[in-house]
Amino acid sequence: MDVKVNTQDNVTVVSVAGSIDAMTSPRLSEALDEQLQAGNVNIVADLGAVDYTSSAGLRSMLASLKESRRRGGDFRIAAVQPPVFRVLEMSGFTTILKHFDSVGDAVESFSA
Amino acid sequence: MNTSNAVTFRATLDSLSDIRSFVDRRCRRAGASAEMCHAVVLAVDEICTNVIEHGYEGRDDGDLRLRFEASRDEIRVIVLDRGRVFDPADAPRPDLDADWRERPIGGLGWHLVRGMVDDVRYASGDSGNEVTLVKRIGARQKTGAT
Repeated sequence: MDVKVNTQDNVTVVSVAGSIDAMTSPRLSEALDEQLQAGNVNIVADLGAVDYTSSAGLRSMLASLKESRRRGGDFRIAAVQPPVFRVLEMSGFTTILKHFDSVGDAVESFSA
Repeated sequence: MNTSNAVTFRATLDSLSDIRSFVDRRCRRAGASAEMCHAVVLAVDEICTNVIEHGYEGRDDGDLRLRFEASRDEIRVIVLDRGRVFDPADAPRPDLDADWRERPIGGLGWHLVRGMVDDVRYASGDSGNEVTLVKRIGARQKTGAT
């Protein structure tokens, strides 16, 4: 799993690639936490290149969602692939987490 | 490449990716659809993660034995471990309608297992835990055709 971070204006895009499981999710949590601690509280996770997540990925995402909202921001996801969407949906995450078809739409949603 | 249908893995998190590859290859070879393979792979991943993180907590000498069986009608994966006894029926069910503030972090693994396969059977004995996951191929195909 790879994580890349790009902050522009008031939105930070965290692009993830590969599989998220209990082995790799701590790296994702760490990257997200680092941004939140630095005050980058509006986060878009670009999941376009994530082919798989287990519940370990859900833990990382929910922790970031809670922390970003507590700090007055939000954690939103974009370009979710079908196997990952299925896991999010089955866990009730698609109702608590704002999701967008594209990263551009997700970034723009913060200026709406 | 190991072509056996029974493989033993070290019960450590870095085995998860090999475990998923093993299950995925066997599922595909059994003729299951990509969606069905994903369901079985995820269920096995969740069970193995649980065993590694909780069943063998504090130990690094554990192992996980996986056996794959396929017939025309169903796929079965049997996961055996020698860790702490844990009956999946004891896993609490998450409240999926709870507000984000109320949602606990974690506790979704067994929920996903139950949602991804048709049957989860559990047995415990002197040798440890044995979880059998059953995914019916025929049932799903019939549903899809109607």
